[in-house]
Amino acid sequence: MRPTSFDRLFAEEYARVAAIARRVLGDPAAAEDVAQEVFLDLHRRFGDNPGAKAPAWARTAAAHTALNMIRSNRRRAGREERYAIEPSLAHDPQAEVEAAETGRAVRAALARIPRRQATVLALRYSGLSYAEMASALGIGVNAVGTRLRRAEARLRKEVGDASV
Amino acid sequence: MHPSDGTLRRSLDEPVAVDATSRAHLATCARCAARVQGMSADAAAVQAMLVSPDPAVDVAMSRARLAGSEAETVGTTASQRPARRIWPSTTRAGRVMAGVAVAAAASVVLVATGTAQDFLSIFQPSQVAAVPVTAADVRSLAGLASYGSVTGGSTINFQPEPDAAAAAAAAGLGIPVVAALPARTPAAPTYAIVSGGMVTFRFDATLARAAAARAGGQLPAMPAGLDGSTLSVSIQPALVVSYGVDPATLLQGVGSVPSGPAFILVATRTPTVTSTGVTARQLEDYLLSVPGIPAEVASEIRAVGNPAVTIPVPIPIDLASGSSVSINGARGLLIGDSTGLGSAVVWQHNGVVDAIAGTLTAGEVVAVARSTH
Repeated sequence: MRPTSFDRLFAEEYARVAAIARRVLGDPAAAEDVAQEVFLDLHRRFGDNPGAKAPAWARTAAAHTALNMIRSNRRRAGREERYAIEPSLAHDPQAEVEAAETGRAVRAALARIPRRQATVLALRYSGLSYAEMASALGIGVNAVGTRLRRAEARLRKEVGDASV
Repeated sequence: MHPSDGTLRRSLDEPVAVDATSRAHLATCARCAARVQGMSADAAAVQAMLVSPDPAVDVAMSRARLAGSEAETVGTTASQRPARRIWPSTTRAGRVMAGVAVAAAASVVLVATGTAQDFLSIFQPSQVAAVPVTAADVRSLAGLASYGSVTGGSTINFQPEPDAAAAAAAAGLGIPVVAALPARTPAAPTYAIVSGGMVTFRFDATLARAAAARAGGQLPAMPAGLDGSTLSVSIQPALVVSYGVDPATLLQGVGSVPSGPAFILVATRTPTVTSTGVTARQLEDYLLSVPGIPAEVASEIRAVGNPAVTIPVPIPIDLASGSSVSINGARGLLIGDSTGLGSAVVWQHNGVVDAIAGTLTAGEVVAVARSTH
């Protein structure tokens, strides 16, 4: 069977979409769940030929879906702790606890700040260029910088320097 | 002229994309250099917060997983479609909804107001918000019923109505019209009315002390007037519009379960909540502090905000999940059974609570809600 445009889009964008969700959730398994949800929704909306705007749609949808997840506390803290700890910290109980606490504080702060600020952070820190963010967010490139600047200041303030 | 914050921020990530004039300015302006330094510090801090390796993705396996999900939801004709059961009492999904129902009943006990200073307060919450709870949390919340007596609400009086006009007249509401039915849903609905009534919880110090002792603790000091205080919920008649399912199946656990897409739409005027003796806020604070209530649940319920505006609805996290959703400008709560067997959405507008629940995916149930007028 010949691959459809949707198949190609999936191959090209799936990892990126999962990475965006991972920035928000800190949990690779939950991030993959979000990526699945995004592409399921994308296919239902746009069919086998999703068009040129689909990558931008999928990236923004990944951030929004992941933010919805933390805002509604769909995930429980234990699951996050299991995945969020870096391997290098795995044998240091104190570091484990601190990493888990920081992770929780960051997720909570992402849930509190304005959604559009949290979205631009998820996109930027998963590696999107300013042009790609502008396309995903439907705003100008200069506005991306302004929004990102405000979002970073706000997140840092919300989390507090002490816990980072 | 100094470059904008947006330009300065971009200069950190994509310096070559910044125009020559701005670059020249940055090279000589101490003020802008200081601004960039502040931005750089914030960016570094955020980078540290959000850093995590990209997930190791197997694209082929992920594509196969997606194909499986699609086949489950859209890939077959109505006759081939596997039966999706949601709330028969003997299934796991049935326990999901039973858990939600118990939790929702418990949440009524926890409804509170922070606005009234008098001994009598009345309010009509206009929003709902999810509070994730485990099965054990649900049992703890349900245990609050043993801190007093509950009267009313023990039976559901269910009355089929012959047509839309009769149902509308009985409920005192306009008939909601669904503009976009999901594919394969029967187009002709049936109508029914569920009677209203008053449910009252009366706090009883003697019962509460005994319950606290069973939970292995002692009651905190009671505020004056707490013993004998009441919280009453006045429920208005509800209009039930059913597509493809006998609503008695869902509401009373009888009859056959639909094998295809089916849902019910429920509309009722917003319940009125009344407290006497103490303010409901005091009652909520007290109940959340008694032995046996998990600290995390208490904290999450308090975090919902002013319950005079928003009712906290506990959602069993291991069986279902809740998320905020916008329905034609109103904030609603989307509840998905995590087994993928059914979804529900609840929202309020113009003093009316609407709910749609059925064997639909989350996307379908939201689409139906948004097309309802």
